[in-house]
Amino acid sequence: MAGTLEVLLLDDEPIVGRRLKPALDKIGCNVEGFEDPGAAVARIDEKQFDVVVTDIRMEGMDGIQVLEHVQRRWPGTRVILITGYAKMDLAREAMGKGVFDFIAKPFRPDDLRRIILRAAEDMGVFLDTDPDGDAPADQ
Amino acid sequence: MSIIIISSDIAETEAMIAGAIAEEKGYALLDRRVLHAAANRYGVKPERLNDALERRPSLLRRLPPRQWRYYLACIEAEVLDRLLADNIICRDVGAHLYVNGVSHAMKIRVLAGKQACREAAEREGGSLEKAEKQRSRINRRRTAWSMAAYQKDEADPAGYDLVVSLDQIDPVEAVRTIVGASAYRKFQSMTYSTKCLTDLALAAQVRAALLKSMSDMQVQARDGSVVVTTRALNRRKRETVEAIKQLAGQIPGVGYVEVHVRNHIFGKVG
Repeated sequence: MAGTLEVLLLDDEPIVGRRLKPALDKIGCNVEGFEDPGAAVARIDEKQFDVVVTDIRMEGMDGIQVLEHVQRRWPGTRVILITGYAKMDLAREAMGKGVFDFIAKPFRPDDLRRIILRAAEDMGVFLDTDPDGDAPADQ
Repeated sequence: MSIIIISSDIAETEAMIAGAIAEEKGYALLDRRVLHAAANRYGVKPERLNDALERRPSLLRRLPPRQWRYYLACIEAEVLDRLLADNIICRDVGAHLYVNGVSHAMKIRVLAGKQACREAAEREGGSLEKAEKQRSRINRRRTAWSMAAYQKDEADPAGYDLVVSLDQIDPVEAVRTIVGASAYRKFQSMTYSTKCLTDLALAAQVRAALLKSMSDMQVQARDGSVVVTTRALNRRKRETVEAIKQLAGQIPGVGYVEVHVRNHIFGKVG
């Protein structure tokens, strides 16, 4: 029987959450979406998520700070960073800080689904796979 | 999962260190043997490709600049394609100069040091001074080559993630240091870096295909979309664009081709 994964999705562009949430729901993820980093961090403080997907550039708090916060609070949570400003230095910094994966925008929901499936496998959870491809999450 | 690119001021040292790292990590070794595959793929002689990695264009050696650029493009395309397999040690094919922006490709410069000169002097029965002069000559030639080919001085430490001097660290310790550093998470592959390498490999394939019959091509790729920048005479712009689109469109993985043509300055003068 397929398991479920608790996922927190944080991006200050509402379109990203709107596109990604249904795609992750399909493979058995229970997704909570946030646009405000402060609200997301407050939620992280009260609930342990299996996976946190966060944008990097946001008002008030960046994705690296969210990553560090998650690691302090829930060291077992896998963090995936998404950004429209990907560069090698940033990718290396994120990997060095222990991010599970790093992906540049624009990407297809299927790309994120593949990463989530790997994260689930890494945690010993087996999700329903849905090989359908779709349009880019954002441009 | 990573790529380690080794470069050194002495080829024998480079081969020794790269071989030891490949053995230690159980990785495949990518070196000039790949030129045969590149030659087969692009229908050129392997000696020509080898020559392109050694020398700059020269009319005396019957290596015109356009042909030289084409040979280098063939090598890049083949090497980048193979690097996609990951878990590879790469040396002696210029990869340290054209694998750029890929975070899981760790570039290492190994400085052979005075000991290598002493060994060369003993081997050849000459003086240490003579061996050092010989090495300086080779290094100047290599710098001139790398500047001409990629506008980079391959001896510049800023181009590397790690520089190891064998005057200070013995080879066994150097190999251990490099193997240890390669395990850093910073140098592990991720979705973004794999995509960067895939884009580079596709751009290199398109460039090689275009340079076979044209010159002065800059190619960038992203997710199967390719942007080509070139120069042409005003009156030949349209046919140049058509030819590029037709050639690039035949490369597997290319979905869309955009061509930017700048005015050819000599055409304007003419």
